[in-house]
Amino acid sequence: MNATGIPLKEPEVSAAAGDTEQLERAYIDASTRVPVLMFYTSAIAWLILGTLLAGFVSWKLHSPDLLGDVSFLTWGRVRPAHMNIMVYGWASMAGMGTAIWLMARLCRTVLRFPLLLVAGAAFWNIGVLIGVGAILLGDSTGFEWLEFPRYVAVILFVAYTLMGSWAVVMFRHRRGDQIYITQWYLLGAFLWFPWLYAAGQLMLFVVPVQGVLQSAIGWWYSNNLLFLWFGAIALGSAYYMIPKVIGRPVYSYHLATIGFWTYALFSSWTGMTRLVDGPFPAWMITASIAATILAMIPVATVGLNHHMTMQGYFPLMRYSPTLRFTVFGAMSYTVFSVVGLLISLRSVASYVQFTDASIAYSHLGLYAFFTMVIFGSMYYIVPRLVGREWRYASLIKLHFWASAYGIGLMILMLLAGGFLQGADMQNPALSFSESIETVLPYLRGRSLAGILLTVAHFIFAYHFGLMLLGLGRTSTVPTFLNPVEAEISGGH
Amino acid sequence: MKGLAPLFLGIFGTFAFSWVGLTVIPNWQIGHLNPESDEEGTDIYPQPQSGMFHRGERVYAANGCVYCHSQQVRPDYVANDIERKWGNRRSAPRDYIFERPVFLGKMRMGQDLANIGARAPAQEEGSPAPPTSASPAPQGATASSPPPAQAVAASPATSPMKAASPSAPTAAAASSPGGSPSPNASPPPGQRTGVASPSPGQMANTTPGGSSPAAPSAQTPGAPWPIQTAGLPPMYSAAWHHVHLYAPRSINLDSNMPSYRFLYEKRRIAGERSADALQLSAADAPPEGWEVVPSYDAKCLVAYLMGLNQSHPLKDVRSVSGAPAAGASPAAAAQGASPSPAAAGSPAPAKK
Repeated sequence: MNATGIPLKEPEVSAAAGDTEQLERAYIDASTRVPVLMFYTSAIAWLILGTLLAGFVSWKLHSPDLLGDVSFLTWGRVRPAHMNIMVYGWASMAGMGTAIWLMARLCRTVLRFPLLLVAGAAFWNIGVLIGVGAILLGDSTGFEWLEFPRYVAVILFVAYTLMGSWAVVMFRHRRGDQIYITQWYLLGAFLWFPWLYAAGQLMLFVVPVQGVLQSAIGWWYSNNLLFLWFGAIALGSAYYMIPKVIGRPVYSYHLATIGFWTYALFSSWTGMTRLVDGPFPAWMITASIAATILAMIPVATVGLNHHMTMQGYFPLMRYSPTLRFTVFGAMSYTVFSVVGLLISLRSVASYVQFTDASIAYSHLGLYAFFTMVIFGSMYYIVPRLVGREWRYASLIKLHFWASAYGIGLMILMLLAGGFLQGADMQNPALSFSESIETVLPYLRGRSLAGILLTVAHFIFAYHFGLMLLGLGRTSTVPTFLNPVEAEISGGH
Repeated sequence: MKGLAPLFLGIFGTFAFSWVGLTVIPNWQIGHLNPESDEEGTDIYPQPQSGMFHRGERVYAANGCVYCHSQQVRPDYVANDIERKWGNRRSAPRDYIFERPVFLGKMRMGQDLANIGARAPAQEEGSPAPPTSASPAPQGATASSPPPAQAVAASPATSPMKAASPSAPTAAAASSPGGSPSPNASPPPGQRTGVASPSPGQMANTTPGGSSPAAPSAQTPGAPWPIQTAGLPPMYSAAWHHVHLYAPRSINLDSNMPSYRFLYEKRRIAGERSADALQLSAADAPPEGWEVVPSYDAKCLVAYLMGLNQSHPLKDVRSVSGAPAAGASPAAAAQGASPSPAAAGSPAPAKK
């Protein structure tokens, strides 16, 4: 990828006092161009691959004989390949791209040591590639989200060390005393991930713990990866993008502080809720259910904070792609947490445990919340890297609606199917296979929803490709989704 | 937020809290369990598993079985797992101490497999050459599991076989100890023997010497297997698992389980038909002169499945004794394994 050939956007110089600040910002943005675009390009390539595999997986679930005789295309291998591509290829790389850009901006310093990041991204890509190959060839470890074999974990860890140390160095070189809310979340994410990953690897593969604790650690890991890595990056991004686009400060720093610390404290304890009534000491599961309930505190404070910031500015979602995606994602965070709480309660869990409801839950977190926020940040950041504006407002709109309807339909299908399947499973008069027949129509519906998401991702990848090739619009005005009426000014 | 120190300390502190609370303390509490035994030190449970079992574990992991099959039985007051005959008591941490990795699972697109080995027909369970018997080490599954367990294990096997109508006497005869063809190394009480073959290596070959998991005698004419109209081996027997893995829809038309044909080899019959060749029904059967035999991985996978058995009681876990259709004696269990009309009339808890 040759990002240096892309013309830099002319900084918008105004006669106002903010001149130097704007120039400085443009300068910082330019310094992040190569690494961030490298992360984004890889992430989108993984997204496309992961989407295709997802369609295949979803289809095979109700048409099991589709290409079933080939060992590396069997359902049980393609599914973890899809999940790991989405988690480590798409979500982690896109999230890190956004985090790097935000870090440079918020530390108000040009990006130092870009080679660390470039090397990190390269190693990470190699790691994911080898890992996916290993899964398809039958070398999976069997632990969800940790399927990559040990040698791949080493590559990923080395790659991450490069990027994590970069974040610490950048933070040390920051200017200004103020540490913005976004930086709390990003610092948290950058410091939590290596601990989490190392703890997971060590306790599962290097010095494995005994028996069922392996499952406990597996769930502790994947739950914390969802909250403390992806969730933290997404919330950090939302805290930056929403105020930035509407040109208004965050409603309350105080609320933000409460939200951050309760988030870190409670969401990290929720991992055992996927093991309700499993073979564990009851206190572990009860503690996690309690933490899930307490995790409503950060949901309420963060939600309230975003809502009050947006108060009176919701109509801007009509125009700004960034705002539309980010607000959708931020709202999904609330839905995600409420659904998570609902399916964790013992009485409900006895029904929906072991059904598609848990798949709905992880898609809510990883897609409706995280991915939508990251799409929003990409719509904001990419024009500032390539110096062009998005070419077609219509494509952005298509992307949004296909994504929103796609994920909405998918979650409805999975939740409804999961609840019905669970009710059938709890009904001793029905044979087990009855519950599967109940859920199959919903799985077909899920496949249809997946087609919508596939369309969305191809549109986005095409649009992003145009931007990379320098085919965006040359303009000082950002691309709005709808023609802007006279009274709306600023924002993007 | 003022100052960096609180931020960093808080970030580390919150995570350390979670790490200690959910991984370190549980590890201290239940991370070093030992097998249980009775007062005399016999009847040890659980016991270490065979090499084939552990290789089967890898095959299970590699092919993602865990994404559709859980391996945990929930207690009877929250779910009807036990009523579905997926076990006779809830799973406990001690059940898993020799398994690595542990596949508790979070999804049931297929049945729970925690006790799939215990559900094997009694003949298989007591037979000296079950697929789990790769190593001379005693198996984790004990043949002397209490009668209710056997009955529970056996009875679900019956109803789906109602169409197959195997003959009762064969199953009953096979389940009696006297029917075991291999009296060498008579097992100590309470231990399941597994000494038909001295080394896993021998297990790999398909000599008709009695070491193949497909219970070769079953395949040959005059086998203890009932020859059914549907041409299927008894449910949850090793041979049945092979047929099921190879062609799931030959057993349950509605199954959405993938077929694992790549674990099997289709080859021309050289001389005699192999002892462990699959008994496939019409549509899936190979052409005349050909046979389908399991690869070593497939045998290990079935050995693993046959070794999954939590029916042994544990001191601190209440076993459900009054399970419906549970006979009180092994004889009843054996009868249960044969589809008497009464058994066939019961609702089928498991079709696939």
